[in-house]
Order: sequence, then structure tokens, then C-alpha cells
Amino acid sequence: MEQQRKFLQTESLPDNSAHLSRKEIGLFRNSPKQNICVQLLQDGDHRSFSELFHLLACDRRRREADPAVGLQTPPLEEQLDKLETMKLHLSRAERAERTGLWSSAYEQLLLLGRFFSSPEDVWLSLYFYRRCSDGERGFRPAVEAQVCLAEFHLEEGEVEQARQQAELSLQQVEDGWLDSDGRSLKLRTLRVLWRIYSRLADAPLAAGDHREALKLLHEGYRIATQTEDKQIEGEAAFKLGLTYQSAGEHDAAKQLFSSCMQIYGSLQDSDGLTKVYKAMARSLQSEGNINETVRCLEKLVDISRSDGLQHNLAESFLRLGDVYYSRCEYQRAAENFLQACEVYCNVGDEAQRQKAQGKVGMARAHCLIRKHIVHLQTAATTSEHQNLNCESADRT
Amino acid sequence: MGGKPKVSSKIIPLASPKGPEKLCELCQRVARLQCTECRATFYCDEEHQQADWVGIHRRICQLLVPIRTQTFLSLQRAGQIVTQQKKAELIEICRSVAQQKLSEGKHQEALPAAQFCLRCSIDVHGPNTVQLVPAYLLLAEANIGLGNVSRVAELLSQAEWSVLKSPDCGHAVHHRLHRSLGRLHMATGNLEQALLHFANDIYFASEAFGLDSTITCRGYFLMADAFAKQGKTPIVRSLYSEVTQIWHCHLTNLLENRIQNAQNPNVLLDSSYDNQSDKAQQVEVDDMLRTMLEFEQKDPRKDPAQVARVAHCLAMMWFLAGDSRKAQGFGSTALQAGQLIPNPDLTEPIQSLLQLVQSLQTEAHPSSDESQNSASA
Repeated sequence: MEQQRKFLQTESLPDNSAHLSRKEIGLFRNSPKQNICVQLLQDGDHRSFSELFHLLACDRRRREADPAVGLQTPPLEEQLDKLETMKLHLSRAERAERTGLWSSAYEQLLLLGRFFSSPEDVWLSLYFYRRCSDGERGFRPAVEAQVCLAEFHLEEGEVEQARQQAELSLQQVEDGWLDSDGRSLKLRTLRVLWRIYSRLADAPLAAGDHREALKLLHEGYRIATQTEDKQIEGEAAFKLGLTYQSAGEHDAAKQLFSSCMQIYGSLQDSDGLTKVYKAMARSLQSEGNINETVRCLEKLVDISRSDGLQHNLAESFLRLGDVYYSRCEYQRAAENFLQACEVYCNVGDEAQRQKAQGKVGMARAHCLIRKHIVHLQTAATTSEHQNLNCESADRT
Repeated sequence: MGGKPKVSSKIIPLASPKGPEKLCELCQRVARLQCTECRATFYCDEEHQQADWVGIHRRICQLLVPIRTQTFLSLQRAGQIVTQQKKAELIEICRSVAQQKLSEGKHQEALPAAQFCLRCSIDVHGPNTVQLVPAYLLLAEANIGLGNVSRVAELLSQAEWSVLKSPDCGHAVHHRLHRSLGRLHMATGNLEQALLHFANDIYFASEAFGLDSTITCRGYFLMADAFAKQGKTPIVRSLYSEVTQIWHCHLTNLLENRIQNAQNPNVLLDSSYDNQSDKAQQVEVDDMLRTMLEFEQKDPRKDPAQVARVAHCLAMMWFLAGDSRKAQGFGSTALQAGQLIPNPDLTEPIQSLLQLVQSLQTEAHPSSDESQNSASA
């Protein structure tokens, strides 16, 4: 009996003995899934075990339902690194929960959400983000998870859900919080929210519902000003201005465009400036303020020239030319069109050059016709004078 | 309980037909007594005969006769097939008898049945095959109850060897083996090994029956016992709440089915709570739930929600088993604890259960109710 008891107790020999312990044999013989599960249970982390087991079952079901998924990647239960990571973080989270340290528990879940970044693991990432944000409110990792979810929904086009998540996050976020990359969480939330409002406004704009679009974009603009990101502020102002323009309220549009110009000017963003000037010119033109339009377009030409952006430059010349053409100042129009031609020639854009050439032709033609008419008129008057002189000469 | 066999007679060696020496049924020593009912079973002394009679022989006495006596027919191929079938039936009978006795806690009495089951299985399937594993496990369980640790270790290592030789035997077999091994190591005090085996037990049980099964649940409970001995109370608390959750769900479903069936008299009531095996399970579950209740009540950090849930489980179980008094008792404990926390999801089902119990009691004792009414009026 004593011998038997001793024999039984040799099962617990330390690992440096000559015998392999049962555990080591198990590591060799059993599947990675079994080893990890058994390890979790042995350490007392049974909820982590249940969760992991459940996720592996989900993975199996997904692969069965969609054979295409099954062929691309090996099953989750064979990917040891992912299993190990999940085991590590889930057990840490469980231990934190047991002792009541909720924040660090959520932290671990957030880490897991960020870990699964490859496209085939998106469902896992979402699962952990949801788990993280589903719990008690008000913890930093939970709010970060919500923001990540909002970003994901936005990218998938699920704008309403993104909006819900983002607004909730905004209510809960606190000023000093940083996200896992060290950036301000509040500003990130605001940025996401601006993008959501911008996207939400697209549908009413397309349908022509300016009131709705303006409401949304105003909200977006208000948020954008809080993001401390000038680029976004400029974008927001520009979009709002464009909406006012299409609604016909050019004063408001012009105001926004000028604040846009300031922002883009300070950012030295010539692309931004170019588009703002173009939009401003359009506004001015619709108002009928041609002088201002011309001035605006000339400024645009300057900018484009200084930046060496040839296409922009050529386009600005074309616009100027169009404005002069509409005012019947054909000479000036032709000059501008010719300059556009040259630029296109330099760039080598044959198609556009030919178009510009066409416009030059039209402008010159109008010019010539004018001259011809004038010439005819003067010719008529001179010949009249000549006739009169002849007549008077004959009389005398 | 077993009658004393009135039928034993001494073997007169010279009077028996020539053949190998007769061995005692239980201990395999030289036999001196013979059962006169079947004439095919032998014992070394009265004690063993009595034990065997009570244990299994009473049930299978007559069934052994065709198996143990050789006739011309039985030696032929067709006869042999029939014999094998009869042996298979015997195995099943022995198994169920042993199981029942074990669930009633009669470990010593279960031994003959379990031993015979094993012997028969070896006969039918051959030694070291995977079909022997249930028989090994049964015998091991009987011996654990008696504390014969070395015998248990021997049996379980045989079982383990059979399982290792046929790794495709299925998750359920693995789970049962590991559970028995875990219990063995708990008995010898080797907690680390016990935990390893219980962990494997839970893993295989989850694969075989699912995470929410009551079978897996028992594994959690056994594991909690090991952790309790190690002193890791938070883990124990966490495991107990998991067990409670699973049983709460299970019992609620059973209760709902019962209520629905009661409302629909056309449906035949399943007498699932009337068989022996379910009574045995009842005892086990009652034991388990009571342990958890005591643990919670002794815990300095009392969690009233947990107390309420465990007491509710006990109330539901006893209600389903038909014991209204106990159901009421546990139900009021549950309600008391539940009222300490404002959670209607917890207290409403308890209240409805108590109402149900009370309505059944008034149905059962209408006269007393009326007399009470007349007394009060």
C-alpha cells in the first residue's frame, strides 16, 4: 500500500528528473487546442476557457458555412500563436475581473481587439471590441473600443451604427485620455464623428434636400472646429460652403470660402487653395460680379504658376478666357486661351491642347468678325465720305 | 438488504465431475461451497456467498446457468453466438445494478456486480480493449468509495492503457477516465495532478456534450473542490457561480416544460424524475448545491445574488422531485436573499415558484385549508 502510494506520488516529480512529467507528454501528444484549454483550466481561468472554446466553435461554424473562407487560411485551432495570445490576455483579463480591477480587464480585451488586424480575423477583432465596450461604462479602454467600432462601421458603410457608437463615445470620453497609439482619444472621436456627419450629408445632397444636408454639415463643421486639426476644419468649411453654393446662398458660401482660404493659406496647401478659389470664382460669377471673379481667377493663376502645377494653371487660364468670352472681350479671351494652349503643349497633353486651340480659334474668329464689321463700317463711312467728296468735287 | 440464501451446500469434491478446481466467485481462492439454485457458482465461505447474493447473484442466478453449463448445443457455433449475446445482456444488467448501488452510496455492495461486469466484459471483448473501460471505471468508482487507492490506481492504469491503444474511442470515454483519475488523485492528496485530470475531464466533456451541459458542470464542481483545498477562494467562487448558472438554466427549462405539460393534459408526463438513475442524480445534485450554499453562507463577502440563485435551484429541484416542503424552505431562503438586492429578474421567478408550491399544497390539503378558513371566519 505504501509502495503504491509512493508510486502514485512520483507522478509529481519535478521537471529536472529523468522522467517526463505527464504534462510534458501531454504537450507532445495532444493537439495545441487541448493543451491550451487544459492549461487555462488548470490555472483556474475557466471563463477564459469557455470563451476560447466558444470562439473556436464559431470559427469552425464559419468555415463550414463558407467553404471559400475555409480554403484560404488554416483553422484557428491550429494557429498556435493566436491561441497563445488569446490565452495570455483572456486569462489576465479574468484574473483582473476576479480581483475587481475592471480597467485592466478591459485593457486586455482591447489589446486582443488590436492584435487581430489581418483581414481574415476581422470578426475576431470585432468580437473583442464588442466585448470590451459591452461592459460597464466609463472605462478608457471601453471607450477606445467603441471608437474603433465606430470607425469600422463607417468603413463598412453602416453609418447609422457608426453614429450611435461615436456619439456614445463622445459622451463618455474625458479630455486627458490617450488611445493606445498615444494620441488624444477625444480628438480621435471628434474626427470620426466629423467623417460620419460628412457621409450622412451625402445622401440628402444627392437627393437635393439642402436643408437636411446643411443641418448635418453645420453640426459637422462645429465638431470639426473642435478637432484642433486645421486640415479637417478646412475640409468641413469647404464642404459646407459648396452646399450653400448649390443651395444658392452665395453670401454664406463666400464667407466660408474666405475662411477656408485663410486656413489653407496657413497650411500652405495649394491643392486646397486651388479648389477654394475655383469655388469662390464660381460663386462670384453666379452673382454676376465679374470684376471680382476676374481678380479671383488671376490670383488662382498666380498660385498655380508659383506652384508649378501646370494643369491647374492651364485650367485657370481657360476659366479666365471663358469669363472674358462671356463678356464679349474676345481679345483678352483669345490671349488667355492661347496661354492655356502653351501650357498644355509644355505638359504634352494633346487632347486638351486641341480643345484649347479650338477655343482660341473661336475667340479669334469673333475678334476678326468684329474687326471686319468695324472695318466694313469704317469702309462704308469712308466710301460714303469719298462719294460725298466726289460729289462735291463734281459740283465744283 | 438481501435475503440470506437458503441454498448453499458444501462441495463434495469426489462427487463433482472431473474438471479444473472450482474457485470462489469473489476471491478466486479454493471454493468449498456451492450455490444450489444454479449449481454453477462457487464460494470459499459463507461470507462471500452472502456478499455475492446481496451484490448481484440474486439477480443473475438463473441467468448464469445456461452460460456456465456446457451442453452439446452450446459448444456449437450457433450456441456460442447465443452465449455471447447472453453474456452481453449480463454485462448490461451488472452495470446497471452496480451503478444504482453506487449512486445510493453502497460501495461495498456494488463490488460483486462491478467485478462480474468486468470479468464478463473481458470474456466477451477480450483483455485491454476499449469496451472494457466503462467496466474498469465502474469498479474503480466502487473502490474509491471504499478507499482502496492502490486497487483504483491499478484499474485506472489498465483503463488508461486501453484508451491509449485506441485513441479514437471518443471524447466521452476520455472525459470519464480523466474524471476518475482526478478523483483518485484527490483521494491521495495529489492536488496538482488532480487538477490536470479535471482540466482534461472538462475539456473532453465540453467536446462531447457542450459547454453548458450538466455533465461538464460536474467537472467544474470537482475542480472547485481541488481549488478549495489549495485555498484559492476567488477561483472557487467563480467556479461555483458558473455551476449555479448552468444548473439554474437547466432547472428553469425543466420547470417550464413541467408547467406546460401540466397545462396540456394530453401530453404524457415524462416520468423522468421517477426512475432510479434520476433519483441518484438528484442526490448528487442536491449534495452539490448544498455544498455551494454552505460555502456562500459561510463566506465573509456574502453575495446575496449567488445565495438566492443556489437556493432557487434547490427549490426548483425539490419541486420537480415532488417534495413541496423542501421546495418551500429553499424558496423562502432564496426570496430572503433576493430581496436584499433590487433585481426583479432574480426575485420574480422565485416568487412565482413559491406561489406554485403553495397552490399545490392547498390542492393537496383542501380540508385543512377549509378548516382554517372556517376558523378565521
